[in-house]
Amino acid sequence: MIKTIEGQDRLWRWIGNAVLVVLVAWTLLPFYWMFATSLKKHKEIYGMGTTLWPRDPTLESYRILFFETDYMLFFANSMKTAMSTTAVTVVVASLAAYAIARLDFPGRSLIARGMVYTYLVPQSLLFIPLFTILVAVGLDNSLTGLSIAYMGFTIPFCTWLLMGYFMSIPVELEEAALVDGCSRLGVLVRIILPISLPALAVIAFFSFTLAWNEYLYAVVFNSNPSVRTIPTGLNDFITEDVFFWGPIMGSTVLTVIPPLIVYFIFQRWLVTGLTMGAVKG
Amino acid sequence: MAKAAHARRARDAHNPDLAAKPIAPVSAWVRFSNDRRVLAYLFLAPALAILAFTVVYPFFQAITISFTNKMAGASASFVGLANYRELIADPVFLKVLINTFQYTLLGVGIKFLLGLTMALVLSQERPANYIFKTILFVPWAVPPVVAALNWRWIYDDFSGLANHILFALNLVDEPVAWTGDKSIAMLSVVAVVVWSGTPFYTMSFLAGLKAIPRELYEAARIDGATTLQEFRHITLPSMKPVFTVVVMLSTIWTSTNVVFVLLLTNGGPANATQILPNLAYKFALLAGRLGTGSAVNMIFFPILAVLIVILSRKMLQERMR
Repeated sequence: MIKTIEGQDRLWRWIGNAVLVVLVAWTLLPFYWMFATSLKKHKEIYGMGTTLWPRDPTLESYRILFFETDYMLFFANSMKTAMSTTAVTVVVASLAAYAIARLDFPGRSLIARGMVYTYLVPQSLLFIPLFTILVAVGLDNSLTGLSIAYMGFTIPFCTWLLMGYFMSIPVELEEAALVDGCSRLGVLVRIILPISLPALAVIAFFSFTLAWNEYLYAVVFNSNPSVRTIPTGLNDFITEDVFFWGPIMGSTVLTVIPPLIVYFIFQRWLVTGLTMGAVKG
Repeated sequence: MAKAAHARRARDAHNPDLAAKPIAPVSAWVRFSNDRRVLAYLFLAPALAILAFTVVYPFFQAITISFTNKMAGASASFVGLANYRELIADPVFLKVLINTFQYTLLGVGIKFLLGLTMALVLSQERPANYIFKTILFVPWAVPPVVAALNWRWIYDDFSGLANHILFALNLVDEPVAWTGDKSIAMLSVVAVVVWSGTPFYTMSFLAGLKAIPRELYEAARIDGATTLQEFRHITLPSMKPVFTVVVMLSTIWTSTNVVFVLLLTNGGPANATQILPNLAYKFALLAGRLGTGSAVNMIFFPILAVLIVILSRKMLQERMR
């Protein structure tokens, strides 16, 4: 039995370090495996005796991906969808959040509650009716339709998050501008948004990754190969007989890069921002 | 606004330049659009329109479709409870319902324990701790489809990493069929759910841990408390609100997520990993039976509705005060 506080602390520190090693390995193993596979030759992937590291690294899988598949088309489609979802969400959510946070109007708390409810309605419930609706208005098999569908998820969360941020900004900052004859829209654009950049970064990241990662809506609404996004395109690779794990792992490596870049850039803001939105009122 | 106008008048009265100038007439439109209420609805209009189209209307449609025999590309007629009756009479449906509970319970439970472990370990002080934080959060930025495909390849019978490790350690004589063996397929899928979903828990818990006042621990130290006692009597009680919100949010998301089951096993082998959202997908997409697919979702919805109501009340309490 360890009696002293210092001894106890040291013991816990070492337990912590040991656990951390296991957790890091658990987290990184899949990354290592996809990267290693993407550099292997076909024979090495399927041959007897799995190798842990490519004996003879090659970019062949990536060549197949770029020149023999539609991966670049899927990539462009995903980029367009994610960018437009993000741009519209940032504008629409900023306006809505400002109204709820600052303009006292009848029905304000009802709309705030509505935002939370819509945020929590699961996608699996909505994909069937939304599909029939999109077909009815001719927005199925369209990147625009997909973008609009994604806004059903991005707008409630982003409005909610911005609302909390706007509420934490002192009202006095705006009052001075309003007194000087600035319009409400002017106040929002010139005063509130510039000091809300961290929150805007969070909602931009959230909208982008949601649209970039989403699978269910994409596979249901856009069955036409010309409007596939990466997640659905990737899975098609598997069902095609001629396709193999080397290029598939190559495509997952490439697919994970854009969200990872954004994640590393915005990391500091993201963690506080997202937990603020989801957990800490 | 009234306050602002008053302030402006008060200021102008003492300002000879402004007082001398005639005030430009204010058009009815400017007055109308400057009204706080009008402005609020103008600002909200785009958001409300999009949400009405993508969430509110589809939600009510989901209920109505479940009472019809709607097929993809065909018109529907009302069939009452026929879809529900068909599902409840099907023994497979009961199995799928049980699977869904099992899947959600396992997924949420393990993510919770692992997330708490990660958060506690990351809250310890060590050199370059932020690097470890960054690493453990990374799966959160990985598209679920990518995670599912990676693991499907890790689970590959002959060439996958999982079996390779077991062989190298001499733990097995023949390859384990991770997703093909009825007895372990569910656990294999849950492992992927855990890999992908734990960082959300870790982040939330870490934020919760940071919010606990240091003084509580210092006081406990002076009273001679051990680390375990501190954990039990300070950390756990202080984290309760965070635990509740995270678990409820995650229960909604985990139980309704299709991607992992769809891409790893598609419900197989022999429905061992079939869960409700995937069954709904199968009915709707593969058989074109939108009415039945919607009914599958609606049967589970009451449970979700309870969670949604409690959770939204908690979230609103904190924010709107």
